[in-house]
Amino acid sequence: MMEIKFKKMPRIIRSYVRLVDVVNYRVGRVTMYMLFVLIGILLYSSISKVFFHPALWTLEMAQFVMTAYFFLGGPYSMQMGSDVRMDLFYGDWTPHTRAWADAFTAMFLMFYLGVLLFGGIGSLSYSLQYGETNPTTWRPYTWPIKSVMCLAVVLMFFQASSEFCKDIARIQDKEI
Amino acid sequence: MSYEMIALLMFSSLMLLLFTGQRVFAAIGFVGTAAAMLLWGVGGVDIGFSSAMKLMKWYPLLTLPMFVFMGYVLSESRIADDLYKMFHVWFGGLNGGLAIGTIGLMVLISAMNGLSVAGMAIGATIALPELLRRGYDKRMVSGVIQAGSSLGILVPPSVVLVLYAMIARQPVGQLWLAGVIPGLMMAAMFIIYIAIRCKLNPSLGPALPFEERDVPMAEKLRLLGAGLLPIIIFVTMMVPFVKGWTSLVESSAIGALTALVAALARRRMTWTVFETSVRQTLGISCMFMWIILAALCFGAVFDGLGAVKSIEGLFIGKMGLSPWTILILMQLSYLILGTFLDDTAMLVIVAPLYVPLVGSLGFDLIWYGILYTITCQIAYMTPPFGYNLFLMRAMAPPEITIHDIYASIWPFVGVMVLSLVVVMAFPQIALWLPNFVYGN
Repeated sequence: MMEIKFKKMPRIIRSYVRLVDVVNYRVGRVTMYMLFVLIGILLYSSISKVFFHPALWTLEMAQFVMTAYFFLGGPYSMQMGSDVRMDLFYGDWTPHTRAWADAFTAMFLMFYLGVLLFGGIGSLSYSLQYGETNPTTWRPYTWPIKSVMCLAVVLMFFQASSEFCKDIARIQDKEI
Repeated sequence: MSYEMIALLMFSSLMLLLFTGQRVFAAIGFVGTAAAMLLWGVGGVDIGFSSAMKLMKWYPLLTLPMFVFMGYVLSESRIADDLYKMFHVWFGGLNGGLAIGTIGLMVLISAMNGLSVAGMAIGATIALPELLRRGYDKRMVSGVIQAGSSLGILVPPSVVLVLYAMIARQPVGQLWLAGVIPGLMMAAMFIIYIAIRCKLNPSLGPALPFEERDVPMAEKLRLLGAGLLPIIIFVTMMVPFVKGWTSLVESSAIGALTALVAALARRRMTWTVFETSVRQTLGISCMFMWIILAALCFGAVFDGLGAVKSIEGLFIGKMGLSPWTILILMQLSYLILGTFLDDTAMLVIVAPLYVPLVGSLGFDLIWYGILYTITCQIAYMTPPFGYNLFLMRAMAPPEITIHDIYASIWPFVGVMVLSLVVVMAFPQIALWLPNFVYGN
């Protein structure tokens, strides 16, 4: 049997990629079960509506959980490769060419996430400073969900950079 | 630079970026945020995040993970096997009977979930091997499964119609009811097409030999009971909603729970099935939500440009087109776009432009929702970009080549275009049921 020795990426990059992937995997695995929290809230809401007084908090709580669900699940779904791409040309390219294209267009992804984070931090600091609440009967504070969203965008950014490193490794035929 | 030019620039750079194969949400989000910052400077930075806050308040979107979860529970746990057997023994004797039965199966599955993924999965894993083994023509089989599963987005509950409802600001309940008759009509048209083809050329779908159909009547009747499952799931979900006891979102949670309980009761809910369903639900929901999030931002910039007004003025004022001509042109352009764009992207990018225009031309937006959905179904199946094509490619056995898959869809696309024309010409097909239910 012939032994092929792959060159490796620098150690620091490899440990960075591994760390990001592990953290986002863990976060994603916990987040995916939030689906049942959502089902629970909605069932409680239906029951309370039919049999006793409708609960005030269920609608907004469900919205918060849903938002946390797809924000925190974002990095893990990127890891799984769930995001759709238009594969008119992409589908026919070799893995090498795809890595080139992805590495190049990664800056568009990071730009978008960066702008999202920038806006998020502004919005979060406003909420913290003025104790902003939703204009509803329940009046929940908005800073907890905004913090979760900002944290998720940061994790998403790390995941995007990890995918970028993997593309660079693929371009150079190195092991990651 | 005029606003029309900016709008045009946004669309063309978006198309360019999509062609590079970058994730769809990243392409849309980048063009949206970059345009906002170029137009409004630092003030435009907030638009990405404020779209997220807006998206949070879109309550009906909570149905998305529920319907996706239902679909995965149904396909992964294989509780639909008995349903297939039912159609098998009852229709097997006809020429093309199993293909007709597959369309029936797809209608029932469509009534239990809101996307075409579950139908594709069940069709490709259960129906496809059986049909091929019995000498059905492979192109016929591939076309039947792709066309049948696309009914998932027209027959309620439908995720595509929920998204349309958000953008057009129309009630989801009426839209869903409007999809019922066109959905059944389209299924009937598929069946007629299959029956005629197989009558003319029985080798496309040979009837089952007698010994295979020689099932005792008691067994036949027992299998008919399998048909109860989708009806039970559909009724527990839809009745509380139509009666106004629960909201749409709460009903979807009841539906998700019912599907889970059904799979548990049939002892099909293993850990692997459960884990796969939950994981895939997260993946698909995130994919959808991030695209919608990015598209909301894109749409907000677009609204800010006021481009819709100027396009409307161009069509009606300068070119002097009649409303029907504009509608037909829009439908044609949607069909062409649909072959290139993913349907979610299509809806969230193009609809903010088209829907207000349709409204201001005086057309009914509920009816237009059905036209839009049928167009989406066609888009699902037409190359180069079609969900069902990709799924088929991934799930089909190697003897079905890409060439077969592409060739198989055209007769069914023809039938779908015909039903699109019929619903366009006779709006009552879509509007009768919602008017009947909500009119009282």
